[in-house]
Amino acid sequence: MRKIRSFTVMVCLVLLTSCSQNQTAKNSQLALIKTTNPSPVITDKSVKRNHVEAIKKDVSSFPQIYDVAVIKGKKGTLISYKVKHLYRFRMKQIEKDITKMLEKKYPKENFTVSSDYKIFLETVRLDEKIKSGKISKKKAEKRLQELIKMTEDIK
Amino acid sequence: MASNQKKVTPQQKSYQHLQQKHEIKRPILKNCIKAFFVGGIICVVGQAITYFYIYFFNFTEQSAGNPTVATMVFLSMLLTGFGVYDRIGQFAGAGSAVPVTGFGNAVISACIEHRTEGFVLGVGGNIFKLAGSVILFGVFSAFVVALIKTLLTMWGVI
Repeated sequence: MRKIRSFTVMVCLVLLTSCSQNQTAKNSQLALIKTTNPSPVITDKSVKRNHVEAIKKDVSSFPQIYDVAVIKGKKGTLISYKVKHLYRFRMKQIEKDITKMLEKKYPKENFTVSSDYKIFLETVRLDEKIKSGKISKKKAEKRLQELIKMTEDIK
Repeated sequence: MASNQKKVTPQQKSYQHLQQKHEIKRPILKNCIKAFFVGGIICVVGQAITYFYIYFFNFTEQSAGNPTVATMVFLSMLLTGFGVYDRIGQFAGAGSAVPVTGFGNAVISACIEHRTEGFVLGVGGNIFKLAGSVILFGVFSAFVVALIKTLLTMWGVI
């Protein structure tokens, strides 16, 4: 019994110290737990940053959601967000409302909207890879298309 | 019940009163609190496993539910085999039986109980003795819900 107790204390200590060590952790490491609010990602050079930021602002204006991530590519735009806990029973309706608003405001563009945590996490990871220069614009566009396909498969 | 009460002699009645007086009351509130916290801890572990599958594998929020349930049932089966889950069950009651881990416990405890009767007729015949009702009513209720949803979709309600 004593051995089990000392083992549990040791495991707790290891976990606590490992959590406090890496203070400058990447956003994606905690993206599922805390609010990261990632900046919009653009893989298409012809698109202006203001335009994508306006899309993000429009989506963020919905009171039921928080933490909006936007990726603008050549063929389409991927928007992922987190839904507040009290509104999680109405996720489908919120998704419909956001898609309707975007299609009305930006009729020429093609939007894919998702509230899935995995899509959000992958969006944040892609943003980090682009910022650190680990991935080229071409590869980022390819990854975006994969994410859009993944989002459509869920639906 | 009424005929039984008539047969009770005055001596028995007085004894029953005495017994009721000294009977230890069931700590319902305490049991509920224990069940709430232990059940909650099991759910936190389940949520952590879901995040693990989302974070490290190619599972989405929807598809991560299946491996999470499988992992939780497997863990509770192991804990039952090692005799740990019985202790948790004694302490938490419904808190350990209601989550999906209770299903794994019900399967393995029936296995252990009937191990002496042989692998085929003992383990094979009794493995779903306790969990069988869960599967039956789970499948049946899923069928009813799917039927209702199909009808509502056909009528254009949803």
